Amino acid sequence: MNLEILLAIAFGGALFTYILGKIYSRLRNGFAVLNALALVVMTSCLYGQTMEKSLNFGFLDLPFVLRINMMSWFFAITIVGIGLLSVLFSIKFMKNEKRLDYYYFNMLFINASMLGTVISGDLVSFFIFWEIMSWSTYLLISYKGGKAIFAGLKYIIMSIIGSLAMLLVIISLYTNFGTLVISELALQIQTASLSYVFFILIMVSLAFVIINAFWPFHTWLPDAHAEAVSPFSSVLSAVLVRKGMYGLYLFMYVILGFNILNKLTSGIVSFNSVLCWLGAITIVFAALTALLQNDSKRILAWSTVGQGGYMILGVAFATTLGMAGGTFHILNHCIYIALLFFVAGSIEYRTGGIRDINSLGGLIKKMPITFIGGLVGISGLIGVPLTNGFVSKWLIYKTLILGNSPFLAFAAFIGTWGTILYGYKFIHNIFLGQLPEKYKDIKEVPFTMQLPIIILTILVILFGILPGIPLKMVNAVGTSLGFSSLNVTLGGIASEAGTLNIINIFMAVLVISIIVWLIYKRGRKAVSVTQDDNYAAGAAVPIEKYHYTVDFYYPLTRMISPFLKDFIDDFYMRLSRSVQNLCDGIRRIYTGDVGYYVMYIILFLALLIFVQLNWKPW
Amino acid sequence: MTILEIILTILLAGIIGLFFLGLSRKIMARIHWRYGPPIVQPVIDIIKLFNQTSISHGILFNFGIIFSLAGSVVVLLFLPLGRICPLSNSGGLLVILYLMLISPLGLALSGGEAANPNASIGISRKFLLALGYEVPLLLILLAVMTYYNSISIVEIVNKQIQAGWSFQSLPLILSGIAYILILPAILGLRPFEMIHAPQEISSGPLVEYSGKFLALTTILHAFNVFIGISLFVNLFLGGAENPGYFFLKMLGVFIIVILVNAVFPRFRIEQAIKYLWKWPTLLAFAGLIIALITT
Repeated sequence: MNLEILLAIAFGGALFTYILGKIYSRLRNGFAVLNALALVVMTSCLYGQTMEKSLNFGFLDLPFVLRINMMSWFFAITIVGIGLLSVLFSIKFMKNEKRLDYYYFNMLFINASMLGTVISGDLVSFFIFWEIMSWSTYLLISYKGGKAIFAGLKYIIMSIIGSLAMLLVIISLYTNFGTLVISELALQIQTASLSYVFFILIMVSLAFVIINAFWPFHTWLPDAHAEAVSPFSSVLSAVLVRKGMYGLYLFMYVILGFNILNKLTSGIVSFNSVLCWLGAITIVFAALTALLQNDSKRILAWSTVGQGGYMILGVAFATTLGMAGGTFHILNHCIYIALLFFVAGSIEYRTGGIRDINSLGGLIKKMPITFIGGLVGISGLIGVPLTNGFVSKWLIYKTLILGNSPFLAFAAFIGTWGTILYGYKFIHNIFLGQLPEKYKDIKEVPFTMQLPIIILTILVILFGILPGIPLKMVNAVGTSLGFSSLNVTLGGIASEAGTLNIINIFMAVLVISIIVWLIYKRGRKAVSVTQDDNYAAGAAVPIEKYHYTVDFYYPLTRMISPFLKDFIDDFYMRLSRSVQNLCDGIRRIYTGDVGYYVMYIILFLALLIFVQLNWKPW
Repeated sequence: MTILEIILTILLAGIIGLFFLGLSRKIMARIHWRYGPPIVQPVIDIIKLFNQTSISHGILFNFGIIFSLAGSVVVLLFLPLGRICPLSNSGGLLVILYLMLISPLGLALSGGEAANPNASIGISRKFLLALGYEVPLLLILLAVMTYYNSISIVEIVNKQIQAGWSFQSLPLILSGIAYILILPAILGLRPFEMIHAPQEISSGPLVEYSGKFLALTTILHAFNVFIGISLFVNLFLGGAENPGYFFLKMLGVFIIVILVNAVFPRFRIEQAIKYLWKWPTLLAFAGLIIALITT
């Protein structure tokens, strides 16, 4: 399979979808799905291959290099997989929206450009694909107009700052080494001075930390994720944000490598430890902030911010176990967060765009499939055993504890316990409790929206019970980056530092559940009653039923909310306002009216004459 | 052999847990100058409740409670009871920590389906209290894991059998004290009884349960009491060579907790969080730093 054909299909398919939409719109949706499906099939065929190919039609006489290895394949498969499911989900979800040709074109185009960033083998094409991705993402975030335009602007401004830093690095690397091909750079940079390497690393990290939304660069993410249309939110959260992790992998482990990274230390502070602490702060801050949110997508957005912290904790710790945990967490997060955004999207679809979870409730009986998806997704997010999130978090915790960093581990744990609180609130306020009267006739979502939810639900559980399957792949990524190999079994890890066997746990839970169920069955049969039966203890049911959802954790949120003021966001907003004021002031001087300019010239001349007359300096 | 061990663990834990429930009522009664029910009263209640009619609010209502109980039972298999620990090789203390989530989550889902505001209030309090005591608890567990440089609870017990209880070893004594301070919160006893608060929110999450559901929650409570104390005995009192000795250690700890339970009134939830995040957390934090320095 040729990489250039893959890219051509990705970009060509996007363009063709647009054109097809103008001619015959019904074919457009089908073609978009087919195109995304073709990409999935082609990418899966590339599993395990390693190749690098130089094409000669490059930009500015630089070669255009495409390459694939285990690491880029790993990211590529998540991109095309989530891409396919979100296009599938869009068909019904977007049915009544306007400008659909533009929407599908943009979806596929972003997919293609993300694919481009991971399979490009030189930094120029990496940068070009990166920029295409940034700009088309901006357009799609602002798709709905209104608040979304502001969210998009926030994203693009931060993204541009990062891109400029990256561009600076790329130019500097080219002038110093005369090549931008990644494999050649990796060899040549080993001779560079440490201070230069440090500069490179700081600048590119800025770009990737911004897109990864680590504290203190997280401010764009909650707005962007909440305001984008739901299928695209899942793309944003599951794969686009994690392009930042790809960039860090690329620069930290592929281009620079351990030799250099290990040298970047002074005392106990190293580049990696700074990244770890950024991750830890991100986890705690995001988990507690998510507790205060009442908007379903905003809760998920903040959880995306927080989960990024776990990944960087694992990856920046740079041990075999940590790397496996971090990489696996990227995959797991991609699966369950996409699932949760689809669930939030389904709720929006059936309730007419309701995102305020306090006004919902009792949807479990009306939307059972969506509920199961939501429950499994939240379980994965928390990391309940037998879901995929558990295994990767176990690896990360273990790395941190055995690496003698209990405080980092503590931050990670607290993040998880915060996740339980907002995760349960998400489930409870939407699906449990009392059904409001106006949602009495609500129905389950159509099949094309159920299908992505079902597929991802199965994946969460499958990877949770048999983590050996994805861990084999994750292990291959680690070894391709120069880490030693882990001893992976089907049920987990069998290393000498401790074993994890999920299959044992699964069997225990299954058998004991069955036994408990049998005991339950032995008891006298329960009578199924409606909720009103017991509610008023036999008296007449009051018309206005009490439903405990608003301010679900009020005793806690009242205590912590003063500490959680997002002063970083305030700072950025104030900065942008003052820049705007400054520019406004300058604009008052440069009005564009020639008369004013003539007046300025005359005034200036008068000043000169005045000075000359009085003091005669010339 | 493993299967035998599993059955033995569950039976022993069930018997000890139910015995503790009965004993606690007896001790409480004597402190209140009453005669009190017989010690087997919880067993009598369970048998009676199984034969009573109950109401159900849906599938999740039924299965939530089943999962909750199963989750608690699975945790037992990871905790060494004397020398018996059937699943010692499947992940250690980290897995225990996470498996302990299944039980409250199951109960919360079941209670949520019941759609009674009292249940929701109780669940909300349960999670808040859990966050409250998890902060010091995690610091304590991290101190233990860092000090012994292991995440396997069996290994931690073995090291204590060789070198003496962690409660006696100087670096972990602060953590041990912090654990005792939060133990009533972990067990849900007074002064941290606000989850059930019968006079206030009609037993909270249990409000809609009747008949066999109540029987299952009683068993669940027995197991949870066992888990909370057993974890402390294993981590700080050096586990035990045989189940009999282990039981005696547990009994000692339980009587202390019950004495506290008998004389204290109930905290409000925010008071509880403030308490838990102040002294126990400070002690646990200091304990972790000491453990980190001494290793």
